[in-house]
Amino acid sequence: MHGFYRWSAKWWPGLIPLAILWVVAAWVSTIPLETDLTARSTAALKNTILDKSQITVAGRDVSFSAEAFSEDGRRSAVSSVEATPGVRLVNDETRLVAEAKPFVWVAERDNVRVTLWGTAPLPASRARIVEAARAALSGTEVSDRMGLKRGAPPRFDAAAVLLLDQVAKLKEGKAVISDTNVSLSGMARDLGGREAIAAALKNLPEGFTVAANDIKAPPYVFQANKDPVTNTLTLSGYVPDNNVHAALASAAGRKFGNEKIVDNLKASIGAPGGFAAAVTTALGALSRLSTGTLVVSDREVKLSGDALYEVAADQIRASLARELPQGWQAKAEVSVKPAAAPVDASVCQQLFAQNLTKGRIRFEPSSASINVDSAGLLDRLVEIAMRCPNVRVEIAGHTDGDGDAAFNQSLSEKRALAVEEYLVKAGLPADRFSTIGYGSTQPIATNDTDEGKLQNRRIEFVVRQAP
Amino acid sequence: MTYLAMFHWGWLLGAFLIGFGMGWIAVVYRGRSVSRVWIQRLSVIAAVIVGIAIAKVVPGRFGYWLDLGLALFGFYLVGCAIGSWLRDIVVVRQQTRVT
Repeated sequence: MHGFYRWSAKWWPGLIPLAILWVVAAWVSTIPLETDLTARSTAALKNTILDKSQITVAGRDVSFSAEAFSEDGRRSAVSSVEATPGVRLVNDETRLVAEAKPFVWVAERDNVRVTLWGTAPLPASRARIVEAARAALSGTEVSDRMGLKRGAPPRFDAAAVLLLDQVAKLKEGKAVISDTNVSLSGMARDLGGREAIAAALKNLPEGFTVAANDIKAPPYVFQANKDPVTNTLTLSGYVPDNNVHAALASAAGRKFGNEKIVDNLKASIGAPGGFAAAVTTALGALSRLSTGTLVVSDREVKLSGDALYEVAADQIRASLARELPQGWQAKAEVSVKPAAAPVDASVCQQLFAQNLTKGRIRFEPSSASINVDSAGLLDRLVEIAMRCPNVRVEIAGHTDGDGDAAFNQSLSEKRALAVEEYLVKAGLPADRFSTIGYGSTQPIATNDTDEGKLQNRRIEFVVRQAP
Repeated sequence: MTYLAMFHWGWLLGAFLIGFGMGWIAVVYRGRSVSRVWIQRLSVIAAVIVGIAIAKVVPGRFGYWLDLGLALFGFYLVGCAIGSWLRDIVVVRQQTRVT
């Protein structure tokens, strides 16, 4: 031991080359060591969920800054770096991701792109949302400007993905999640888009509520054009379904007995409430015009054209506004057709007969109330009567053979009177008309068939030269 | 420590060989010795430096260089001890053969 002590007293000269070795080793090994430790520390964090993670190594000391999404995650990340072989110290500069209050997320669509704003709760959520946006809006540029923050409501991802599907149905607009409140605004791409979005919002994840749904849809348009030159009624635009389509086609057939109907209607959802009733009323008004156009756009009915006479124009304007369902607006731009040239008694009779052959004045069953569908035909009869002011006209009522003869007699008289009343209300002098009822005594067809009975139930105008 | 030994094995081997050579020479070296008092003082200083290294007081690269220096110094001492011990055995054998 004594020798060992003696020798060690002479070991000092070796310290000089050792010091040189130390300097060289420090010079050469520092950078590779730091690079190696950076790689190992980064690898140790591979399975942790962090934002803005940054690792800087000086010697064997690691400065680790990151934003974690939970306290457990933060501690676990720091421990992983600390446990990396070779690391001496960890300067912990980690912190928790800021909490957003309220937690707001926005998907905004314009003509060119979809921009995602606001915050997502986790990088994985963010990636899922961006992927869902690309899938839902294929062909549209997706711009991701989302940040990451804590404080998202449960099932946030599912809500965001569902809203992206709705944004895909918009032409432009935005969907916003603010905590658990969902609001949408903008213009739907297609007719019915608004309804489709409203239906989809019912499937929002539990806990989310629709705070506002201000989606607008392109106007729901129905058009009808009455052209007296070609004698056609052209229907175009949309109807809600096949049942309404059939009902409107049937109503048009009854109201426009003289015209050929060209039906270009298409079915689409998105019709405003009361559509069928409003269009039926408006078609009734159009049927009284000589020439005219009807445009129904959402809840606005615009009727323009020429009435056959002054009183009809007033009646059409007033009745259209009155008879439309509540919430609907009427704009009637009805002028009066210039009076047609007068005709003599024989032409007058011919015109009456022509019109009453093509169309029939309809009454409510077993009643003398004139059916509204006959207004157009009656207006034409009024116009003809105006063209021959010097003739007297006998209005004759007939019934079919069904029922009691006395009742039929009375009914035919009342119906003839009702027609006379219509003509007088139109401004024609009452003394030009006389009425007579024939009951079922003058059938023109058999009363054994429905078709025959239909022909027998009729009103005839018989022209008599004024004395 | 295992990581350091693996990463720096070449440098540590170098320190050991320098130590081994120095230890080998020291047995028959006639030069000046360090006095007992100085050896004690230097031992205390070395112990303090080891303490500082263990306490991880020196930050960053300087801390690493301190650890590296101490590791090299340790291997140097081990090399010296083994070198001196082996040389002593050789010298004793030679003396025995002469006598």
